[in-house]
Parts: sequence; structure tokens; C-alpha cells
Amino acid sequence: MADEARKKETLKALYDGVVEFDEDKVVEYSKTALDEGVDAYEAIMDGLAAGMEHVGELYANQEYFVPEVLMCSDALYAGLDILKPHVSGKESKVKGQVVIGTVEGDVHDIGKNLVKMMFDVAGFTVHDLGRDVKLERFVEEQLKTDSEIVALSALMTTSMLAMPKVIEMIKARNPNALIMVGGAPISQEVADNYGADGYAKNAANAVQEAIQMISRLREMGRA
Amino acid sequence: MSEQKKPRQETMTSAERMGAILMRQRPDRIPFMPFIFGYCARNVGYPIHAVYDDAEKSFWAQMWTAEMYGYDGGAMYGYASMGGWEFGGEIKMPQSEWEQAPVVKSFPAPTPEAVDALEIPDVETAGCYPIAIEFAKMQQKFGMPIMVMGMSPFTSAGNISEVDVLCRWMMKKPEVAHKLLRKVTIFAKNVIDYFIEHFPNYPMMAFTGEATSANQIISPKQFEEFVLPYMKEFHDYILQSGIRNIFCHICGEQNLNLPYWAQMEYGDPGILSFGHEVDLTTAIKYFGDKHAIAGNIEPQIIQNRPWQEVYELCRIAIEKAKDAPSGYLLMAGCEVPVQAPPYNIYVMKKAVMDLGFYD
Repeated sequence: MADEARKKETLKALYDGVVEFDEDKVVEYSKTALDEGVDAYEAIMDGLAAGMEHVGELYANQEYFVPEVLMCSDALYAGLDILKPHVSGKESKVKGQVVIGTVEGDVHDIGKNLVKMMFDVAGFTVHDLGRDVKLERFVEEQLKTDSEIVALSALMTTSMLAMPKVIEMIKARNPNALIMVGGAPISQEVADNYGADGYAKNAANAVQEAIQMISRLREMGRA
Repeated sequence: MSEQKKPRQETMTSAERMGAILMRQRPDRIPFMPFIFGYCARNVGYPIHAVYDDAEKSFWAQMWTAEMYGYDGGAMYGYASMGGWEFGGEIKMPQSEWEQAPVVKSFPAPTPEAVDALEIPDVETAGCYPIAIEFAKMQQKFGMPIMVMGMSPFTSAGNISEVDVLCRWMMKKPEVAHKLLRKVTIFAKNVIDYFIEHFPNYPMMAFTGEATSANQIISPKQFEEFVLPYMKEFHDYILQSGIRNIFCHICGEQNLNLPYWAQMEYGDPGILSFGHEVDLTTAIKYFGDKHAIAGNIEPQIIQNRPWQEVYELCRIAIEKAKDAPSGYLLMAGCEVPVQAPPYNIYVMKKAVMDLGFYD
């Protein structure tokens, strides 16, 4: 078992490794964490995820841009690959399930992939349908997996018009499914007009919004 | 709109109006150049892909739609995802109701090895260029200036490798990114050479545009290293080739990049168009003395909001930019969406007719 000081040092190294997009460092300290008995879940949440949260702030402040964020994401996944299999019992219980994809007609998936990463790291089970996804696929996958959330992404003004259609299709088959929308042309107002249950302004916000949506759902006794 | 006003009398044709802008003279009113492609096909009953894969249909769909709405600027050929098809990848033409432009289906150089192996294509057979050449012949046949669709190196490189791959190379293997950018720049220059050679002494303008370099994706520092040198070189080459004017669409959030865009040449004058993210007052401050400014009505508003909001955005834009030193053209901030309500396009013209005349 690592002593507190050593554990802090390891978590800090994981945090820094993600922020500095130092994949080698993340791999090294993920192994160190396991070797020294640091809880894998803690290493993910207080090391990798905390680092990614700071990356989100750096992006929002225009200190980091997509190339840096992608590198941070690569570093984070390198750590997740090592640590996730060691997350045990109670902690491995998933927070929820999400079906995610970029809607039909839209091949832009960088934003969607960053949102997916945030769900991954937050402990959701993610069913990623990819990009240019036929609307029926969202309906089928939600029903098949019984996911609480369907997250829809669009970059183009034309493809965003697919969103109200797919929301209607999903709700018709499962009124309890919660729909989150995001992407460059989407705003809270657009999300409301489309009948979405949540709006993700950015990747970090997506997870917070999803957790709140699931909480609301559970409070209402629908889940 | 119920209010009846006596219509203002236009004293120039569209060609004269655009000519006045390019001669640095004041036209009768600001030109209205909506930036519209797929919508035109839908407007005349063609499938949207016809505007990209059929030169004749593309030309006429645009000309008829221009006549119907009374906008200026005529017809041009091109789309944002150029590069992928031209360098040997596959493209998917718009088919479903949710699509409005071609997208790259398979990227020809997603690895450093593929970049090494990438050959500079022959313009005459590369991707969409046979269609673009046919389109240029239509423009020539009907006495219109040819708008040469130039391949902007950075955005085209993203369409060849895929944007996230290019972003990772910029960080980890910048030499690969530069190698790809060099190859695209060589091809882009070859395109200019081809048009100059095959349409000798014919009036031409070049179109360039950058979407992937927006600050929603890259930093100004990355712009300085990976966009500026190649775009600048390309613009210089276009102008040295004898093309006098460049129409450059500076797409998306580009505010942090404006000092670098200001280091490039656009001709005498160029026309620089902006998305809604760049305020027209800012654009005029950077470029207005030397170049005409176009933009920047938000496409999402044109597509989704009531006509009153579109008209109000046009009113604000005209108020800000009408007296720009080298002229102003009312334009959408990016391509007019194919599903835009027709009336929302009509009110853009109406705003020009109500507010855009020079007295």
C-alpha cells in the first residue's frame, strides 16, 4: 500500500501527464499506481479525470486547442487501458449507459469523440455508433442496450435538422430515453425547440449534464 | 411583409455592380451574393448532388436561382471538402435530406507512409476538377468571368489525412504535416497553371477558403506555422500568375488568426468573406482599406429562425459595413443551408433593396 505522500505524487504525475499530453508518463505512473497499491478507480478519477477536467478549462480559455486536447485524450486513454481492468466491485458499477453518434449527413466526429471520452472516464458504458449514423440506428441501439441517454452530435446546419426527427423517433419507441444534443450550431434554445432533454455546450459539460439528467430521471421514479 | 414602399431603382446590372467593386468604384447599391450552392439545385428541382457532379446542371441551377432572387455574383463551382477525392480518396455526394455537400468517405493519406507515397495528381483528371473545368467552359461560353476553385492547403490537407490525424501530426510529427502541406500546395499551384494555360487571357478570379484553420480547432500559433506560409505562398502565386482578384472565405471563428490573415495578399482588391463569428467592424478594421468585405449572416439563423430575425441581422450588417472603404457585399457567413425557407433568402435581398443603396 502506497503511503499518502507517495500516492499524492503518483496521482499528481497522472494529472500532469494528461495535462502535458505526456503519454509515456501516464503509462509509467499508471503502472506505478497499480504496483504500489493505489486504488485504480482513484487513480482514474483523481489523476486522469482531474487532469482532463483542467484540460477542459485550458480549452475554454483558449490556451489549448483541438490538437492539444486530442493529445491529452490519447494520454488519458493510455492510462485508462492500464487502470480500468483493475477497477473493482462497487466502483466498477457503471454510472449509466449512453448511446452516442454524429447524426446522418454529418461526418465530423472530433467533438463527438471528446464527449465520448468524457463519458468513458466518468464511468459510463458508451455505445459509440460513429459518424453519419442513420437515424434508425439510434433508436435500435437505445432499445437494444436500454441506455438511459442518447447523445446526438451535429456540426452542419443541414444535419442538425435530423435531430428533431431522431428525437421524435426515439421518444416514440421509448418515452423514458433521455436525449442530449450538442455541436457547433446547437444552442440551449435549439435544444429546447428540438425537444431534447439536455444540451452539451462542450465535452466537460456533457457529463455533468448527463449525470443531472439521470438524477432527475431517478427522482421522478422513471429509472 | 405588408408595408408597401416604392422600390428603389437599380442603375447597374449585376455584372456592372460586381465590376464596380473590383474597380474600387462605388456601385448603385451593395451587391448581394448569398453564397449558395446545394440550395440552388433544390430550388430548381434537381437533386442536391447535381450542383457538385454535373457541371451543366450546376451552372443553370445557380443562374436560374440568381435570376429568381435577383442576387449578384453569378455561378461558381466548388465545395469545402476538396482534397480527398483529388488525391485518390473517395467522396460521397449528398444523397439524403440531411446532407448538403460532398464529404470525404475514405482519406487517401491517413499515415505518414501514405503521405510519403502520395503523388501529385494530374489536374485534368483529379477528383472534381474535370467537372470544374466543364463548369469553367460554361462560364466562358456565357461570357462570365471564370472563378477558379483554388485548393487551400491546410483545409485540403485535413481532407486528405483526416482532420484529427493532421492535428496529431502537427503536435507529434510536424515534418509529416509539412510534407503533406507542401504536396497540396504544389497541386494547388498546378491548378492555377492549368486554368491560365487553358483559358488564356480570359478574365478570372480565384476562390480560396479556410475552414479547418478556425480557432475552434487550431491555435493562432499553429496557424502561423501550418497555415500562413502555405496560404501566403499560394495567394502570391495566384496573383503572380496574372489573376488580379482573390475571393477568400475566412470561415468560422478566426478572430485570433486575423493578424496572420492580414499578412497575406488578396489582389487589388480582394474580396474577403467572414462567418458570423467575426464582427464586420473588426473585419473592416483589419482589411477594409484594401479589400471589399463580405458576410456574415449566420446560416443557422437563415435556416431556423423567422424572417424578421434574418432581416434584422441584415440590417445590422448593412449598417456596420455599407460604408467600408473598399466596399461591402451582403452574404451569408457560410453556405446557405439547403433547407432554408425561401422567404428568408428573399428578405436578405429585400434588406439590400431597402437599406443598401448609395445615395
